[in-house]
Amino acid sequence: MFRGKGKPLCRKVRGMLSEYVDNRLESENKSLVERHLEICEACSKELESLRMTVQLLDRVAEVPAPRSFTVTVPQPRRESAFGPASMRWLRPATAIVAVALVVLLMGDFLHGFENNVRSNSGPGNMTFSAVQSIPSSAAEQQTWVAVPGVMGEMSLATAKAVGYTDYTIVRSSPVSQPPAQPILTVLGNEGPTGAQVIVQGGAGVGWPLRQTEIGLGAAVFVLLGLMIYARRQRRKKVGAR
Amino acid sequence: MDEQDLISRSKSGDVEAFNLLVEQYQRMVYNLALRMLGNAEAAEDASQDTFISAYKAIGKFRGGSFKSWVLRIAANSCHDKLRVARRYRVVSLDTLLLEPDELHQANNNESPEDYALRRELGRFLSEGLTHLPEDQRLVVILSDVQGLSYEEVAQATGSSLGTVKSRLNRGRTRLRDFLLQREELLPSKFRLNK
Repeated sequence: MFRGKGKPLCRKVRGMLSEYVDNRLESENKSLVERHLEICEACSKELESLRMTVQLLDRVAEVPAPRSFTVTVPQPRRESAFGPASMRWLRPATAIVAVALVVLLMGDFLHGFENNVRSNSGPGNMTFSAVQSIPSSAAEQQTWVAVPGVMGEMSLATAKAVGYTDYTIVRSSPVSQPPAQPILTVLGNEGPTGAQVIVQGGAGVGWPLRQTEIGLGAAVFVLLGLMIYARRQRRKKVGAR
Repeated sequence: MDEQDLISRSKSGDVEAFNLLVEQYQRMVYNLALRMLGNAEAAEDASQDTFISAYKAIGKFRGGSFKSWVLRIAANSCHDKLRVARRYRVVSLDTLLLEPDELHQANNNESPEDYALRRELGRFLSEGLTHLPEDQRLVVILSDVQGLSYEEVAQATGSSLGTVKSRLNRGRTRLRDFLLQREELLPSKFRLNK
């Protein structure tokens, strides 16, 4: 209202009026202001209006606080099994199990592919491969044969050890040890070179691998379920705040 | 128990000691927030934020005036509220200017006419304060409404003494101009140009 008016001395004095009102001016400046106010009506009016403004502000009533702002420290809550901390281990655990499953599946797939390549090269080779993959002692000891000209029965292992090539399978019992071994049933012989072995039943050497894969797959599903549950729980908590 | 003891105990985690400090300063903090924000609800939020922040940061308090330290936190809370209000284009806190009912409770020795005048004056001044830039508003409130010395205002605002004087001068002048422009609306008792 009064700004920008007057001479440079007026502007200087008006810049000091606020401090003059508060009686915070040094004696030199204070006497300068007072001398000027005696001769300058505009600056005197400015001083009065400023003083009135300060007095009005002083009349602004102080309001009581509407409520207490005291601070409460929440008791440390027990971490939920599916709280943020659990999420920290759930994610890497799921990732590790999933990666392990993928690696196993890939290895299994490649192994199966290799066997398929072998089997495609001819049925004889497949039989040979299967026989080769089986430790002979267990199967042969459980397989009983009759050799022409020899009384009674003997195990296939014995017959082979003696050097008999012409024999008839009488019976065979399932191989119980080791459990990973396939159960072999020799159905008959073919030619003088050996028996045609047909693998019946059993998962073969891949069975523990299958079990591991199934276990890992189940673990991945369980962990994923836990992660989804934990995330929902966390969202519920955030929403409740 | 004196203030220094309460501060020491608060630093060691004694929330009851801290709450004694809160009770001592909550009125001052709330009034600063109310005048800065011009809105009772926002002032409550800012006041609560102030004391929560103060409790969290009490370990960093290195002595000096606890009042200035708390007021500085309160000023920052108010700046945050005003910044958020501007950023999200919510209805400006300034436009929500309301004089809380508590302010208009008549004193026992006050006539109905004086009460009405005081109410009208309070509304004018609150509106005038919200027309000041934030830095000037803060200094004017601390100095002229809350009665802090220049030195305390400098500590509470983290400014130099020269900055405080300059902002106070400009703030008062601007507020005076605001009141002069609406002088006919002011109760005659409080008119600047009599």
